[in-house]
Amino acid sequence: MPDTSVMIRDTAKKLLDEKRVDLIIGFEKGTLPLRSTPCFVRTSQETEKLIWNASCENNLARYLRGRKEKVGIVAKGCDTRSIISLIKEKQVAREQVFIIGVPCHGMIDRRKIEAKLDGKEILEADEVTEGVILKGSGFTEIVDKAEFLHNSCSTCSYRNPVIYDALIGDKVEENRGIDEYGEVKEFEAQSADKRWHSFTNEISKCIRCYACRNACPLCYCQECFVDSSQPQWIGKTTNLSDTSIFHIVRVFHTAGRCVDCGACDRACPMGIDIRKLTKKIEKDVKELFHYQAGINLEDVPPLAAFSLDDPQQFVR
Amino acid sequence: MKEVKIAKNELVSFLDSLISEYKVFAPVKRDGFVAFQEIHSGSDALLDYVNSKKPPKEIFLPQSEVLFSYHLGGEGLGIEEPSFEDKQTVIFGIRPCDARSLVILDNIFNSQEYKDVYYTDKREKTLVIAIGCNQPSSTCFCTSVGGGPFSSDGSDLLLIDIDQEYVAQAVTDKGEKLVTKHSQFREVERRSLSLMQKVTQRAGALIRTKIETGAIAEKLAVMFDDAFWDWLHEKCLGCAVCTYLCPTCHCFDIADETLDQTGRRVRIWDTCAFPLFTLEASGVNPRPTGKERMRQRVMHKFKYFVDNHNVAACVGCGRCIKECPVNLDIRAVLNSILNR
Amino acid sequence: MKNPYIPIAMRAEKIVIETDDKNIKTFSLSFLNKAEESSFNYLPGQFAQLSVLGEGEAPFGIASSPTQPGALDFTVNEIGVLTTALHNLEEGAIIGVRGPLGNCFPIELFKGKNIAIVGGGFAFTTLRSLLKYILHQENRSKFGNVTVIYGARRPGLLLYKDEFKQWEVRPELDVYLTVDKADEGWRGKVGVVPNVIKEVAPSPEDAYAVVCGSPIMIKFTLPVLIRLRFPPQRIILSLEMKMKCGIGKCGRCNIGNKYVC
Repeated sequence: MPDTSVMIRDTAKKLLDEKRVDLIIGFEKGTLPLRSTPCFVRTSQETEKLIWNASCENNLARYLRGRKEKVGIVAKGCDTRSIISLIKEKQVAREQVFIIGVPCHGMIDRRKIEAKLDGKEILEADEVTEGVILKGSGFTEIVDKAEFLHNSCSTCSYRNPVIYDALIGDKVEENRGIDEYGEVKEFEAQSADKRWHSFTNEISKCIRCYACRNACPLCYCQECFVDSSQPQWIGKTTNLSDTSIFHIVRVFHTAGRCVDCGACDRACPMGIDIRKLTKKIEKDVKELFHYQAGINLEDVPPLAAFSLDDPQQFVR
Repeated sequence: MKEVKIAKNELVSFLDSLISEYKVFAPVKRDGFVAFQEIHSGSDALLDYVNSKKPPKEIFLPQSEVLFSYHLGGEGLGIEEPSFEDKQTVIFGIRPCDARSLVILDNIFNSQEYKDVYYTDKREKTLVIAIGCNQPSSTCFCTSVGGGPFSSDGSDLLLIDIDQEYVAQAVTDKGEKLVTKHSQFREVERRSLSLMQKVTQRAGALIRTKIETGAIAEKLAVMFDDAFWDWLHEKCLGCAVCTYLCPTCHCFDIADETLDQTGRRVRIWDTCAFPLFTLEASGVNPRPTGKERMRQRVMHKFKYFVDNHNVAACVGCGRCIKECPVNLDIRAVLNSILNR
Repeated sequence: MKNPYIPIAMRAEKIVIETDDKNIKTFSLSFLNKAEESSFNYLPGQFAQLSVLGEGEAPFGIASSPTQPGALDFTVNEIGVLTTALHNLEEGAIIGVRGPLGNCFPIELFKGKNIAIVGGGFAFTTLRSLLKYILHQENRSKFGNVTVIYGARRPGLLLYKDEFKQWEVRPELDVYLTVDKADEGWRGKVGVVPNVIKEVAPSPEDAYAVVCGSPIMIKFTLPVLIRLRFPPQRIILSLEMKMKCGIGKCGRCNIGNKYVC
């Protein structure tokens, strides 16, 4: 069974040689252990750079917006769901994208590994079938990949691309019977005071860098509400009230569109648990409107449609 | 430069006596990462750490800072100028790269023409005690930008860890007064000094990244229209992670915040990476895309700042490398520039 | 040590609507105390930051000349938060002012030389300061011939119409007003500023050209001046970028290694 990276390169090369796309967006080796980095390939020769491993954690769909050319994009399950959302919102045309779908076993959360090593610096990381061999100054450790996946990957039900033009390798088994809303339910069960205290504690770490917003494939407003000056909706300082409103409103703006790819969570330099909010909104949309974003091209997003039996318990 | 020593087991008592006189900032563990916070007990200072997540520049240039308050509706402008704290401050445990960043920032905030009193007041009242880096990170490249793991630029006192004790170098008069005043600092033996040499040499050798940044400004001088900028920015998200976490980035915005009749004018960190940075009221934007903004960031740090102040606005701390969500590595950028 | 971020209070003595679309007003501000007036020493070309507390602050070229003591003039185009707030003020209102900031025109270099003053649209503010400075009886003899070429899209959008009526008939300077599109009653030239410069062809001999205008006007004006043989070092431009602090600290107004403030 050929290496996934090799298969991606071959597919990319063919697409470019046959001029079916002008650009391939994929991943290449990063400059640090346990990292890969987005890469933009336009020539057959450059396709040699493309790789695939458990550090390909970014959602590349974010780079599809505003393009005129035909693009081939390497996408895991969650990424393909984002692409569907973007197509539904007319940010990219279906014909414009050649989706190179890659079945995914989950991406490694390097912060979890760093926490486990408690400050010891990782100088080399080699991925093997089930684990990662970590080497540093005076130590070698092997960790089990499954134990150190991103939370969104551990509970993921869409490891296989939902839509694709080419599938790299064989499909993988989907997670069954995992309660992906376990953490949300635990949180919901707490008192309002406790939840507010917990939320404000977490969000007070925010430095308003907007990495979460900019990493999200679906945050593409020409003018984000935080930047509006006429009228001005929120202040730009790290005042808790302003920061809280930024996150709360952003999460509401993603309702019915967010696919829980975790890009926001992964981008945050301060390690804020952003998915606590996004996952809750996703659960609410599922329960209220029986809808999950990005599953197919036909379902109409709930906030873009009106149906007579939409829930309306707030109308009294 | 006076050299003395302080035993590790006397450090806490030294910090405690500092705390009785000064406001002391030291590294502490917070929310899973290291931050500089005010400590009230010497034992709260974290000594075993690499570097803080956010640079200590925020002690001198807070992310949000009130420039003045105002009351509307009265006579005149109703401005209330801020009062500055009298208490002296100590920053303990800062790394040489971050200490050096303060000297770099002084070029901007303590210039001949205008003194930024908010910054200069804090700077004048602060004593800087740095701890050298025995174990530089793989992302450190201080030696490539004029610094080093034991550079004393910007410190009043530099501590060098030689296992059971620290050699203490009093870099400035302030530093010398401090070691004279506190009994925990004792005469240092030759043996300790030679151990210090070994430690500093070993640390220097651990820095793997070596970039000839001296030639960068020259290269950049002729690269404004180079095609290099067309592809460099492609993966950049345009967020503020690299700038906010950078010890030498200093750009800020000014805004008025009012509630009913009272308000304040605040300054807030800003970044050249945001489109709004140069967006004019007419809608025209001289830096309309990520390309122009990325070019500005790199050229400002490694050419314009060099032109104006003879030093690159980078101390090689590696925070931007570690924290960039897409692993856009400034070292790779600099090497690409050198190879153009 | 003076805090460079604190504005002084000035009173808007007179507010005059300059253009027929009412988008541009000139504010004449007076100092509230003598000490502040005597320490506000400026030269043509400098700017000040105007504040409406609660709304914000923005930079405006000083349109008055230091030869007119007691008042500072600012001409403001209504386009955003702060300028809308300024336009909503009535005479007598208090406005915050920080200044003088920035560089002035190189007046010393202009002495003994001929000056061609070229302006477009609402970018005539600091040029008005320069012109009034030069024309002041104490200064006039220190400078050579003065030629003014100023254009707007249409007659109603020209600034300082009453003053230009006076300047047009004064013998010690030559004034050429032009519009892109004339209306009934317009007796001046018709054509864009670069074309009028070509036509008037001010001599480059012993002369400086001072140009203020939109980027596109400057783009087409410079080649005309070069072709008329004005050497680049004798063409003075005013550069603009978005500003916040105005004192070289907030890092946003640079063009290359120069901070425009």
